[in-house]
Amino acid sequence: MKFFLAHIFPVRFRLPLLLLVSGAFLGIPARLAAQQASLADSGVLETSSSSLSLPDAPLPQQQTQPAAQTPPQTPAQKPSAPSLSDLGLSPTQTAANPALQARLDRHTQMLKIHQRLGLLTLIPLAATLISSGGATAGHHNGTQTAGGNTVGRDLHASLGSVAVGMYAATAWYAIRAPKISEGPVRGGIKFHKYLIYIHAPGMVLTPILGAMAFDQLNKGEKVHGIASAHAAVAWTTVAAYTAAIVSVSWPIHLKL
Amino acid sequence: MKIARLIACLFLALPALAQSGQTWLLTQSTLSYHMSHPMHEVDGVSHAARGKGFCQSGVCNFLVAVPVKTFDSGDSNRDEHMLQVTRGADFPLVTVRFRLPASALNSPILDCDLDVQFAGNTAHYSHVPFHQNMQGADHHITGSIPSTLTDFKIPPPSFLTIPIKNEIPVKVDMLWRPQ
Repeated sequence: MKFFLAHIFPVRFRLPLLLLVSGAFLGIPARLAAQQASLADSGVLETSSSSLSLPDAPLPQQQTQPAAQTPPQTPAQKPSAPSLSDLGLSPTQTAANPALQARLDRHTQMLKIHQRLGLLTLIPLAATLISSGGATAGHHNGTQTAGGNTVGRDLHASLGSVAVGMYAATAWYAIRAPKISEGPVRGGIKFHKYLIYIHAPGMVLTPILGAMAFDQLNKGEKVHGIASAHAAVAWTTVAAYTAAIVSVSWPIHLKL
Repeated sequence: MKIARLIACLFLALPALAQSGQTWLLTQSTLSYHMSHPMHEVDGVSHAARGKGFCQSGVCNFLVAVPVKTFDSGDSNRDEHMLQVTRGADFPLVTVRFRLPASALNSPILDCDLDVQFAGNTAHYSHVPFHQNMQGADHHITGSIPSTLTDFKIPPPSFLTIPIKNEIPVKVDMLWRPQ
């Protein structure tokens, strides 16, 4: 080493050499590291590490930067501003996922239709309940008569059919909406889903029992057997359905 | 002569030493957005923010990033809708960048100019005050970012055809530590 210094570098060159070496060890690596981090953040760093030994080379335009996560930086920020890679975020965490976004968009679009149809279904449901008063057997002097008001019964049956049809369409949009998360559901949506187990069988059972009751009344018979549960099943179904609508909006804090 | 060389060497190396600077690390954080609707008041909270700050030549540059999907409002259906409306799959992170003079790092109120990138748009917030409380080596920062939906061109979600309020202030509660 002594020989090397004495013969290769005369005394007058040793101080500048020492300063150069100390500067290289202390300053340049830090600048290079900062520049490397900055480039990595902007997505520009695609060359090999050998190019880092040329700190003054002009930087290419940020053509390949992903629009998603590269905020514009002023030149003054570049040397020391931390990058996403400094935060330990992997490229998979920062990369855009257009397929998931498309699924989210479709999910939202279908659930919006589900929501609107669900609210609209309340109209024929309410109308069916109101018309049920005119769908009972006819009475004369306190005794049931055969036939009764068949127009009222027909109207009730028609409104019920519309309600069931709209309910089916509402359910279809919820069932067909793409799933986003496989994790457990939280919040009001949990009760919204639990209540399906009440109103969905109810929506199947109610028209069946209604058809049986309709048939018995048209034959001049008193409603009997399982058909006599039609009204109770219908009311339970409507109550569960209404609760499902309220639960998805829960908790409600009115602030007018 | 040797001493003079050594002093000169150290003296000239000082700027290089100063450039290596100080690093700050975000050790704990709670970020919560507040959404307001005539029928609902909602807070979405995330504890998943990551942050770092580099100080160099008397100026400190900070970066905080938080994945959009980590905000939890207590309702998975609402969170999924939030993710969709903010285009959280296309732009999975919210990033906040700000600069502070190194001399201001210990003051009780930090006056920050923030560049917030969210939903594919960047908004600039000038002179946002943050309160600082120093607990040993930890710097406890609290404050609120007065963000709005229009700042990031987010279409306001609606419930029963009534849209949510445009204001979605983000409360910040962070613990920074110098490394």
